[in-house]
Amino acid sequence: MTEVPIPELVLNRDIIVVCGAGGVGKTTTSTALALAGAREGKRVLALTVDPSKRLAQTLGVDRNLKRPVSIPEERLEQAGIKPPGSLDAWMLDPKIVSDRLVRKLARSDEEIEHLMQNRIYQGISRMVAGMQEYMAMEALFEFHQADTYDLVILDTPPSRNALAFLEGPQRMARFLDGRIFRLFAPSGDGESGIFRRAAGRVIDTINRTVFGEETYNDLQDFFGSFAGILQTLNSNAGDMIERLSSPEDVAFLLVTSPTDASVSDAHFFRQRTREMSLPFAGFILNRSQALAAGRSYPTADLLGDAPSIAALSGLEKLKTLAEVERAEMRRDANLLATLADEAGRSSFALATPTVPGGANDLPSLIRISDALWDAPRYTK
Amino acid sequence: MKDLFNLRAVLVSGKGGVGRSSVTAGLAMAAAREGKRVLIAEIGEPDEDLAALGRLFGRKTLPADPVPLARNVDGVMLWSRKGHERFLRMVLPVAAVVRAALRSKALRRLLDAAPSLNELGVFYHMLTLVREELSAGKPRWDLMIIDLPATGHALGMATLPDRILQIAPTGPIARTMKEGKEFFFNADTSAMVVVTLPETLPVTECLELIEGVQDTELPVAGVIVNKVVGDDFTEEERLAIDPMVREHDVFGATRFLGIGMVAESLGRLQTEAGLPVWRIPEVPLDGASLLYGMADAILEEDA
Repeated sequence: MTEVPIPELVLNRDIIVVCGAGGVGKTTTSTALALAGAREGKRVLALTVDPSKRLAQTLGVDRNLKRPVSIPEERLEQAGIKPPGSLDAWMLDPKIVSDRLVRKLARSDEEIEHLMQNRIYQGISRMVAGMQEYMAMEALFEFHQADTYDLVILDTPPSRNALAFLEGPQRMARFLDGRIFRLFAPSGDGESGIFRRAAGRVIDTINRTVFGEETYNDLQDFFGSFAGILQTLNSNAGDMIERLSSPEDVAFLLVTSPTDASVSDAHFFRQRTREMSLPFAGFILNRSQALAAGRSYPTADLLGDAPSIAALSGLEKLKTLAEVERAEMRRDANLLATLADEAGRSSFALATPTVPGGANDLPSLIRISDALWDAPRYTK
Repeated sequence: MKDLFNLRAVLVSGKGGVGRSSVTAGLAMAAAREGKRVLIAEIGEPDEDLAALGRLFGRKTLPADPVPLARNVDGVMLWSRKGHERFLRMVLPVAAVVRAALRSKALRRLLDAAPSLNELGVFYHMLTLVREELSAGKPRWDLMIIDLPATGHALGMATLPDRILQIAPTGPIARTMKEGKEFFFNADTSAMVVVTLPETLPVTECLELIEGVQDTELPVAGVIVNKVVGDDFTEEERLAIDPMVREHDVFGATRFLGIGMVAESLGRLQTEAGLPVWRIPEVPLDGASLLYGMADAILEEDA
């Protein structure tokens, strides 16, 4: 394990999967990694699901296009870099990927047409659990296979907790459990025995009452025509996770923010990747003060000879702020040490500093990318 | 901010890390001090270990039935399954049929697994709670404050009724959604507040969120800017220490140099949000004293 871990990953992996709970700076980190790759001469694709308008503006690309677009070279040059590689971004809409899959997997044009009209299908990523995660993986492999990119960075879909991406296929599998399908099979269909037929009729009545006639029909229709496609997706999902398990090609990163929740998040994530044999690379403690330990405490001697009265009273007020920041530094340094313990010897924990103003333009994204590139692995 | 206390429900939204849960708890404590009976809620599972609101009141978890947390403040975990159960009891005419439905593993699995149906359960649980009455016409809680999750889908709750109506335009689910809209999308009874930090990026995201929510007819009452660093430096003091702060990398520099950004952020919110902007100063406390500190700060902001 090298002392500066990010370059090793960016230079040697084909796929980097960036996970993390909502609001930790996952999209910013992913984009910064992608920039780093392009600056090293790689052809990089940054894949992100449902990002904010802001990132699209920063990069100068549109959202929800049908395919990736290149970040204009002039834009990068204006920001002071001229990367030898290329940087494409795709802010993908899972529905577009889903439609493409349906067109590929459906048995007939009628079936395609029929599904596209179905209201349940139209809201599919909000109806079938794990769909967004699946579609993100689908897009990832599509580009990885096409060989147009040296490195694909996946910013996983927004979610409340960091595990959502890993659990996506499993949640989808649970959804595809035959029971749910039988729930919407025409009543009594294929069932033998008076009892089963009667039970089928009760469930049918319940369904009609709970969902209402129209929605119930849509559900039946959806499960009827989408069943085959969903089953195919489900068996693909297992393969995909399998293909993400090669440590030579793939790295998983977890981005966390300096809060108490980050420690338990990190623990569960580490555990889950281990159970699934996924190549976990490390933790990134984002926007922390953990690296501020070298700072000094403001004292009067820093003000030079004969400081003015205003300087001395200003200094007293500054000390109040310094107390807060010193406490933050201690908290963050402790968090980082805990993350490093969790990472063990086979993976790393590193911290990135708070960038004043945040990642609201390309130059600040470049600064973040530099900071990540140089960030040392935490050691005691 | 006190005007919020005259509503029946306040939805607290904002990105992760802005201090949404402590603002929710602080608002509840402040409203309780003003004599309101308050119910605060978060969304999740009742045995979940990381109940953020519960933790602020020294509890590990929050149950799906309200429990007292402080004087005049109750807390509850909004749980999709609780909502589904209540929903089934409402739509199904016979108790035996309700039992059959609740026993159906397939139905339960569908309700749990389909994200939209899951949200429907949470929404219905919330709706039944705001409707609970002590006696006819007298609600059990004057005010319900809901800590919305930071899912990344910032617009979640605001777009929920319409998203569900797209899937189920008719039938009992649609009727429930419309009733819910009448309550929560009505500026006389309910509003959303957006919590943000006085920094460039969070402000941009906050403005984006407000714009999105306003497209949905969900009323937005205002923006709460949390953790505003106290700027009590005089101009003279600032100029006198500025060179030292820039030259030496001292603790306090991030905040000192960020003060200008705070003013800029507040200014941007004031001109661009078109809504009241309330401030809560940075409260360097934790545990119970944080809640009292937040409540003080909220009540002082109005003064």
